[in-house]
Amino acid sequence: MSQKREITISPTTRIEGHGKVTITLDESGNVADAQFYATEIRGFDYFLKGMEAERLPFIISRICGVCSTAHVLASAKAIENAYGAEITETAKKLRELLLMGQIISNHSLVFFFLTLPDFWFSPEEDPSKRNIFQIMREKPEVGRKAIALRNFATQILNIIGKREVHIVSVIPGGLINSLKERERAILLKLSENVCAITKEALELGKELFEKNWQEFKMAGDYKTNYMALTNNGAMEFYDGKIRVVNHEGETIAEFDAQQYMQNIEEKRYEWTYAKFAYLKALGWPNGIVQVGPTPRLNVNRRAATKIADKELQEFKTKFGSPAHATLLFDYARLIDLIYACERANEILEDESITRNDVRVKIKAKQGIGIGIVEAPRGTLAHMYSLTRNGRLRDLKLIIPTQINNAAINLNVKDAASEFIRRGEVKPGLLNRVEMVIRAYDPCIKCATRNVGENVSLEIKNYDGKLLKTISS
Amino acid sequence: MKTSVVSLTCCAGCVSSFLNAGDALLTILSEDFEIVYSPTFVDLKEVPEVDLAIVEGGVRTQADESLIREVRAKSKTLVALGICATHGGITTLGNIKSVRKLLEKQYTLLDASKLPELEDLMYPICNFVDVDYYISGCPPMPSLIVHSLKSITNKKTPERHQSVVCTECHRKIIPAKLERLYGIYEKEADPELCLVSQGFICLGSLTRDGCGAPCPRAGFTCFGCRGPPDSLLYRTRDIYTFLVKVISKRTAIPEENIKKELYRNPFVFHTFIFSKFERFKARERVI
Repeated sequence: MSQKREITISPTTRIEGHGKVTITLDESGNVADAQFYATEIRGFDYFLKGMEAERLPFIISRICGVCSTAHVLASAKAIENAYGAEITETAKKLRELLLMGQIISNHSLVFFFLTLPDFWFSPEEDPSKRNIFQIMREKPEVGRKAIALRNFATQILNIIGKREVHIVSVIPGGLINSLKERERAILLKLSENVCAITKEALELGKELFEKNWQEFKMAGDYKTNYMALTNNGAMEFYDGKIRVVNHEGETIAEFDAQQYMQNIEEKRYEWTYAKFAYLKALGWPNGIVQVGPTPRLNVNRRAATKIADKELQEFKTKFGSPAHATLLFDYARLIDLIYACERANEILEDESITRNDVRVKIKAKQGIGIGIVEAPRGTLAHMYSLTRNGRLRDLKLIIPTQINNAAINLNVKDAASEFIRRGEVKPGLLNRVEMVIRAYDPCIKCATRNVGENVSLEIKNYDGKLLKTISS
Repeated sequence: MKTSVVSLTCCAGCVSSFLNAGDALLTILSEDFEIVYSPTFVDLKEVPEVDLAIVEGGVRTQADESLIREVRAKSKTLVALGICATHGGITTLGNIKSVRKLLEKQYTLLDASKLPELEDLMYPICNFVDVDYYISGCPPMPSLIVHSLKSITNKKTPERHQSVVCTECHRKIIPAKLERLYGIYEKEADPELCLVSQGFICLGSLTRDGCGAPCPRAGFTCFGCRGPPDSLLYRTRDIYTFLVKVISKRTAIPEENIKKELYRNPFVFHTFIFSKFERFKARERVI
């Protein structure tokens, strides 16, 4: 083996959006480099300019149909911030409930439909069977659990958001509708049932995870900084401060949403449409930081709800804090899920959420505003500059997948190096590499709203000529 | 029925909507479909021969174009799901010349050898391939998707929706006398009155029904995501005049003033103005 080669996985499957992986092998057939890139382009950052701020939240949610609610909320918060408006407590609670619906909807999709097949089947399983539909044929109750969880989230989004995907009820200043007592009762009842299902999902996830852990922990454990919202050390999704811990778990920065853009810088590489975001103070590459399920646990010391807190402590005891292994994202995601169900239940038990004061009047004025929420995939930030007539002059969005982009690439390389030695490509390798990507649940739709993306593995010769495209 | 689910340039919201169909989804998956190809759910990397292809998203890159041509060639029935596939959707806002230039500029700065070439515009899929059924919406409601697919798998024509969103809206149309139009956060909407007669720019009167009018029912203006109804399907130029007349009639604001207001806000119309839907072959296929 005296030639350099390139291996490409395209498209990467069971992730959201079009992606592709290229692994370059050196002369001795070991991994020299690996890249994960995106292949779509849509141009949101350009064509939204000039739009009236009042239309922004529901138009900008079209960046991503999977995490649309998180975008709507970040967008409304950014506009309120620019206008100096303070929404009511009732509106805040309803919005947090919507965000919990978003987390449940996304995480149940990712756990059951995207990642579960990797844990469920052996790596040698026929790839055409390695999917949720096969699991549903073998064990229909797993499918029913997945659907029950999604159904609860759908009901929250439908009743409060007025549509399941791309909600319309959230506007700058609050919400257009209040929650009726009858609707609260329906959701409350559903939430009790759902907490039980989530516990079962968690048990199932833990069991499958522990069975595979020895193998999983080798698949990428690049140590980086971690960032998430925090409410004085407790997990938080809708409000709070942004905290960053380093790879040893020490808090190295804590700031308000307003200072976000001063703390985060973006970098572009010419081979992908998705940008890379990192911590400005530490520079590139020391400032590489990760967001999402594991970072949320690494940054916070506790969770405000009972079961989630117990699970969070157990996670820290088992894997340390901060935990680094990439595939722990899949485990941590289930803790998010249980937190979201418990928190939704808590909010729904609060009778005051049916109050009518869900909306304050706002007035357009010139200014810059930032809105931040914890989206399913991590910290999501929208920054708008608005004119005095309330039109969009400029915008900057920092999306979780852009922040994780660097870590994904490093861990893909790490995992590929683990599995490829002296040019020998072991069976099931491609899926192992994809599992690392899948763990991050990357949303290429979001990261490439500007440009389009796709992921795949190609083998190329020294000159970069394509020898073979492998489909796992 | 062997089925493939294909995503082109889109936000993946239409497939998410399909997954929100709950128990109906479980039934359709166990009784009607076998999803053999879907990069989102299944690990198969080559497009297979299928009975039914469900396509979300439109054509923005040449990779999209070659994929949709391959999918069409390998499927007996092809359904365009959602506004991006049927009309071009939100991404068509990038068809404005100035934006297109920016996109192209940014594109050439990138290493284009590894990335698919851009098309000049964002196109709906019917500009490249023959489409058997169009299910529009952003996204279409889960029940609409499931009902239509169920009919298709049973070899029946799905129930068509030919009228406008207003027919599904509970609000009463009582003409008013207003001075000007209003933005959605400028005032609270009366829960029973037509949004247009309250001065909001609601597009329900020129948008196809079948969604159940969730937005205007909630007090949010319809933004036209189901595309034009049968009566306006081939007369896109009339849509603008039509809306001006509707608003004027219900608010008593002179048509001239309304025109001015609408010109200031082209985004109100994005689904209609920038979309390229002239290639619809037969209205019978629009569900």
